[in-house]
Amino acid sequence: MGMVSSLLPHLINGLALGLLFALIALGFTLIVSVMEVINLAHGSLFALGAYIAMVIISPDLVMLGAAGELYGDLPLAVRYVIALVLAPLVIAVIGFGLEILLRRTYGKKKEYGLLLTFGAALVFEEAIRLVWGPAERVLPVPPGITGGFIFNGMIYSNYRIYAMVFGAAAIGVVWLFLNRTPYGAIIKAGAHDDEMVRALGINLPRLRMLVFGFGAALAAVAGIILTPIWGLRPHVGVDATIPAFLIIVLGGIGSFWGAVFAGLLVGLVVGITGAYASDWSILSMYILLIVVLTFRSRGLLGKKTALEL
Amino acid sequence: MTDGSDKPFFSAQGLQKRFGQQVVLEDISLSFERGTVSGIMGPNGAGKSTCFNVLTGVHKPDRGKVVFDGEDITGLSSPRIARKGISRSFQIMSLFDEFSALENIMVALPEVRGGLLRPLWDTRADTVVADRAAAILKSVGLDGHERTPAASLSYGQRRALEIGVALAPSPRLVFLDEPTQGLGSDGRLRLADLVQSLRDTYTLVIIEHDMEFLFRLADRISVIHWGQIIAEGTPAELRSNPWVRVSDLGKVA
Amino acid sequence: MLTSPTGAPIVTKAMLVLFAILFTYPLWAKYVGLYDYLGIEIAIFALYALGFNLLLGYTGLPSFGHGAYFGVGAYGYSMAMVELGTSPLVGLLLAILAGAVSAGLVALFLSHRRGIYFALMTIAFGQIFWFLSIKLRWLTGGEDGYLNVLRPVVELGSLKIDFGSNVTVYYFAAVLLALMVMLLWRVVHSPFGTALQAIRMNEVRARSAGYNVWLVKWTVFTLSGAVAGLAGGLLALTQESAYPNVMSLHASGFVVMMTLLGGGFVSFWGPVVGAALFILARDILGAATEAWLLWYGLLFIVVMLFEPEGAVGAWRRLAGLFVRPARREASPKVVP
Repeated sequence: MGMVSSLLPHLINGLALGLLFALIALGFTLIVSVMEVINLAHGSLFALGAYIAMVIISPDLVMLGAAGELYGDLPLAVRYVIALVLAPLVIAVIGFGLEILLRRTYGKKKEYGLLLTFGAALVFEEAIRLVWGPAERVLPVPPGITGGFIFNGMIYSNYRIYAMVFGAAAIGVVWLFLNRTPYGAIIKAGAHDDEMVRALGINLPRLRMLVFGFGAALAAVAGIILTPIWGLRPHVGVDATIPAFLIIVLGGIGSFWGAVFAGLLVGLVVGITGAYASDWSILSMYILLIVVLTFRSRGLLGKKTALEL
Repeated sequence: MTDGSDKPFFSAQGLQKRFGQQVVLEDISLSFERGTVSGIMGPNGAGKSTCFNVLTGVHKPDRGKVVFDGEDITGLSSPRIARKGISRSFQIMSLFDEFSALENIMVALPEVRGGLLRPLWDTRADTVVADRAAAILKSVGLDGHERTPAASLSYGQRRALEIGVALAPSPRLVFLDEPTQGLGSDGRLRLADLVQSLRDTYTLVIIEHDMEFLFRLADRISVIHWGQIIAEGTPAELRSNPWVRVSDLGKVA
Repeated sequence: MLTSPTGAPIVTKAMLVLFAILFTYPLWAKYVGLYDYLGIEIAIFALYALGFNLLLGYTGLPSFGHGAYFGVGAYGYSMAMVELGTSPLVGLLLAILAGAVSAGLVALFLSHRRGIYFALMTIAFGQIFWFLSIKLRWLTGGEDGYLNVLRPVVELGSLKIDFGSNVTVYYFAAVLLALMVMLLWRVVHSPFGTALQAIRMNEVRARSAGYNVWLVKWTVFTLSGAVAGLAGGLLALTQESAYPNVMSLHASGFVVMMTLLGGGFVSFWGPVVGAALFILARDILGAATEAWLLWYGLLFIVVMLFEPEGAVGAWRRLAGLFVRPARREASPKVVP
């Protein structure tokens, strides 16, 4: 059994991680490219999405009474799909709220937005801790995609493959949105140019809010898919924010393919480190961030923006 | 270098600078004499700002040399160039907005700058330093505004302060980057008077758009266009220069 | 600026007020429902936040991973006491050194940046330190903590100082705080302090005025790390142990929040006020609800949105003194 084939499950894991990281990063870069806001609370939306999905899948049936009983009888797969649709919507609404909150900081020193979203991230994490406790929780997943199989002497996880496929599909949806819808066209054309947008008759504040919500929803989706791999704990928000940044820096702000390729790269690094020293795989992300920020401040594909202070 | 030696005070030779594919400066050679007012003129996009930035250490040239008072300063960083006695003002005003006018000057004084290793010296209380700063403020016409925060000054006053901060380190050579930017005719007159009052103490190099302004004040002017020096000489010589006439530089007085 | 002919003396009126409160605290604390240990914690965090504000309020550099240097100081003190058996003073000196060295190393990577990239790097380094302190069990005791850092009894000739008593530790911390207050006050009024603020307002201009901005930023980061190390060492002395949790992003966020809520953006005293408010909130609010930190975080957000000058800023407004600080303390307000 060669080195490569023993690495294969980890490669798949890396790809799955990478695609989902790319999803987080895409939501993040959309927000940044439209608003030049750095949302340090992006990871919190990731985490919250997963927790809310957990609640939707297995709510406190006693509280819901008779309707709850009916709901509880639904197969897990159905509840899972409902959660996959509903939770991101909830998070999108929260994203709207966050954007409204941030409006006061537009035009002020960049540090304010930074501090504000940092505070928001802490508040979210604390709220999660209060409601669901600090211990690790489980996001129930339909039995069809759990378990594994053996191929060529190596064990493969069904879920990782599912995550990979789902991630790729989700990225495809984002691509369609950006390239086949009018809103997408505006965003791509650099919608942070107020005058142009207004000249086109588009409501800029509404656009911002929608983009923020969309980005938040993407983070939530990524959270729902990724937390069964990573574990569902209050701190997982931070661990999701860092790759988003790293990917943006590597791939450039506002660059779709930059986010995707950089996401894959980061995912592979984390996945392969996981093969050799699983505890340290998350740490590898932070080290990679430091290395990248030390040597380049511009992305591979993106352009310099006002973030480069 | 105190006698009238034939080496210029400041010279740049064969500067080239490109950003990516774009060659912005191509074989720029300039020189300035001590005690003169020199001008650099040219339309927008000609490369004036880049030239300026290269001369003051903001960018390193890809090729070429910059020599100041016999010393090769090519490629030095802007703090080091500042310490050699070259100072600049900025076209897009660059002040310390939350400091008062006086504090803006004080920060740039060499005693304060060099006093970083004296942690127990109270800069605010030092009247000697404050007096020096006040004198400079006066020389740019801002006496009376010592305590006004820079952000609260009028546009013209900020322009004056911008120059004041450049003068604070007692430089030997001062670069002024489009000092008339945004000023009305009154402001320009005042600025011209200011420049006249400074010429005895400092060697000045002024980048400008406003030809009349330069023609009145400068001893020699270099004209940059398309990344090259296309003409050079006294205002009188330039008036009759065909290149200057032909290129899109606006009316000559 | 030209308002105070004698400038900033070594001891100001505000300092005297602080010292009066500080040194009499054990006498009246119990009458207002407070106690010695609480006072120690306030002193420790005031120290931590004062050093931190040099970076945030004065130089405008947001460090979201400062808990690393605080934690390193705690471990440094603990290891010195347990492994080397030194006196607490030497232990604290080692804590300061540890904080300074670790901050100094990190600052090599950061000093040419500011803004978001700076913040991200500080988070990344903070997480690395935190992670290492959990994983390197043989060195730090891991999540269980580095324990049994017993409070010493120090003999100076015929004088016996028993650090076992909270009152003793309190006065020790109070003296350190007082000394640090006076030292940092001089520092921010020196040319170095002016340089810090200039860099905050306009790095490019500072550079073209001849300042070696990289070096100044490196120095202030290292200095704030040293102070954090001292505070961490004091905490280890007080609680007789060192834990990884102070290095978490969560805990690093505390010092950011308390510094700003107190008014670190506009006042030298902001961090001190903020530290007191934080500890008091923790105890008083915390007794009423488990969600005290949530409320505190929400308060932080509200303050950032509406009153970024924090407690001191609000106080000044109330007291009718407008923000045009006679002595420029930290940055005056951001123009809304």
